[in-house]
Amino acid sequence: MRTFAKGTPVIVAEGLHKSYGDTQAVIDLSFEARAGSVFALLGPNGAGKTTTINMLTTLLPIDRGRASVAGFDLTGQPEAVREVIGLAGQAAAVDEKLTARENLEMFGRLYKLPRTERRARVEELIERFRMTDYADRTVGTYSGGQHRRLDVVASLIANPLALFLDEPTTGLDPRSRTELWEEIRGLADAGTAVVLTTQYLEEADRLADYILIMDEGRAVATGTARELKDDLKRDVLEVHFASEGDLARATEVLKGHVGEYGVAARTVTIPVPGGSASSLGLLRRIEDAGIPVVDFHYRRPTLDDVFLTHTYSVTA
Amino acid sequence: MTDFSYSPPTTSDKLRWAFQDTATITWRDMVRTSRQPEMLTFAVIMGMFFLLLFNYVFGGAIGAGTGVDYIQYLVPGVFVITALQGAQQTSTGLAQDLSEGVISRFRSLPMNQVAVIAGRTVADAARNIIGVLLVAGVGYLMGFRFTSLGGAIAALALTIGIGYSFSWLGAAIAAKLRNPEMVGMLSMFWLFPLMMASSAFTPTATMPKWLKAFADNQPISVASDAVRALVDGRPAGSDSLFAVVWIVVLLAIFIPLTTRLYRKV
Repeated sequence: MRTFAKGTPVIVAEGLHKSYGDTQAVIDLSFEARAGSVFALLGPNGAGKTTTINMLTTLLPIDRGRASVAGFDLTGQPEAVREVIGLAGQAAAVDEKLTARENLEMFGRLYKLPRTERRARVEELIERFRMTDYADRTVGTYSGGQHRRLDVVASLIANPLALFLDEPTTGLDPRSRTELWEEIRGLADAGTAVVLTTQYLEEADRLADYILIMDEGRAVATGTARELKDDLKRDVLEVHFASEGDLARATEVLKGHVGEYGVAARTVTIPVPGGSASSLGLLRRIEDAGIPVVDFHYRRPTLDDVFLTHTYSVTA
Repeated sequence: MTDFSYSPPTTSDKLRWAFQDTATITWRDMVRTSRQPEMLTFAVIMGMFFLLLFNYVFGGAIGAGTGVDYIQYLVPGVFVITALQGAQQTSTGLAQDLSEGVISRFRSLPMNQVAVIAGRTVADAARNIIGVLLVAGVGYLMGFRFTSLGGAIAALALTIGIGYSFSWLGAAIAAKLRNPEMVGMLSMFWLFPLMMASSAFTPTATMPKWLKAFADNQPISVASDAVRALVDGRPAGSDSLFAVVWIVVLLAIFIPLTTRLYRKV
């Protein structure tokens, strides 16, 4: 079986640009995704994640810049690229009128797998991904989790070196999501280079070895989850109030003493570079103003904080 | 980096792929059709509707006015119309396909991309054969007769041929618009004039001169006349040739056009 040694750069993007008319969807994007690891493109809706995936899977021409998969140039050798990639998720579905087995059989034929190998591969995938119970029902009758799983499995039929998953878990219940995570992790551990897009910070945090945060077409931060959190170099204080009124009064009190802060659901989130001592100071000010505090948390930054820092200016 | 030997496909590889992929997509579309038999049922019910309406409502008047055995005149016309309906279903079906996610996956596969359309036109042609045979069965109950097996086979082949060439017209519209509702509405505009201003249901002799000129030469009339001659065992050479020319012309225009429209993202 063809594989790359773990750590080999499989997907290489250099200065990618893509515009639709006047809208710049992707601006000067560069990254490398390596064999045996999961690379996450994390960003809000419209950040350019799907456009990036579409360029890297030959669905969209690249305006400027270069990209290659397994050494094959996207622009010059799209046919070769198609031989070594798998695509799943939002962008590439399966046929709803066919059964799982029929879908896998069809994709196997389109990859020109020889008949015996194809049959064996279809059975192997159905068994390995525990789809036996519903493999002969039409896809239209599947639950969201079963459907997504088949999406991913269908992209594995020809043992891709590079797997692209466009928001693979969007809309899934927590249990199906966790299961799919385990399967994606397993594929990466077996040597596949996985690129996935997600809006879920938790997903990137749990699954990705390397994260690129995108906003409005640009890479705004890259690194491992740990590196991104460390880059913030500040802990976070969250203070919960009983009412929106209390929250508003508290933010008035804090305004002169903190730089940026975020407000949501009767909670104020404040980055505190000074550590626990300055947190105590802030809490005391709130107490002195006579505003009752329901609860507070002092914590290390999460990927949420990183994400919000880089994608919106107000919040921390 | 490990090197992978990748030999680009030769021309003969590509040609073989084109056939294999078309066969795969044909299989897929036939399985789909078998799971939504409404499409076939609809085409056949339309055919029967035309048979009953024209034979029992207008048939007396048309037969008396022209002196033809009307059921024998009508059924071949309805064959062609049934095949034309099938072509319209290629259009709406393909538009539906193009609006679904599975198309993106096809685009990311190392396959012949036009096979997605070619496969559908072949599957629709297969469905048309069943539709036309069912219409022939109903016609038989109403007094319609083939005069020879050879004529019947030739008539069926020509019917499917003209239906197939119109499938590519339908596919071009679908590839351009990619919206099932719009494609459905638009199909009335090309389907209806071709159907009504033709010799499929009535002889064109009494039409105004300008309309007759169009009606006598447009593909549905030409095909209807040829199929009729083949069914009746009359010499059908020139009509058939004219019909085959239409088939070739339509395919020569719409296969490349559809391919171009489909490849454009």
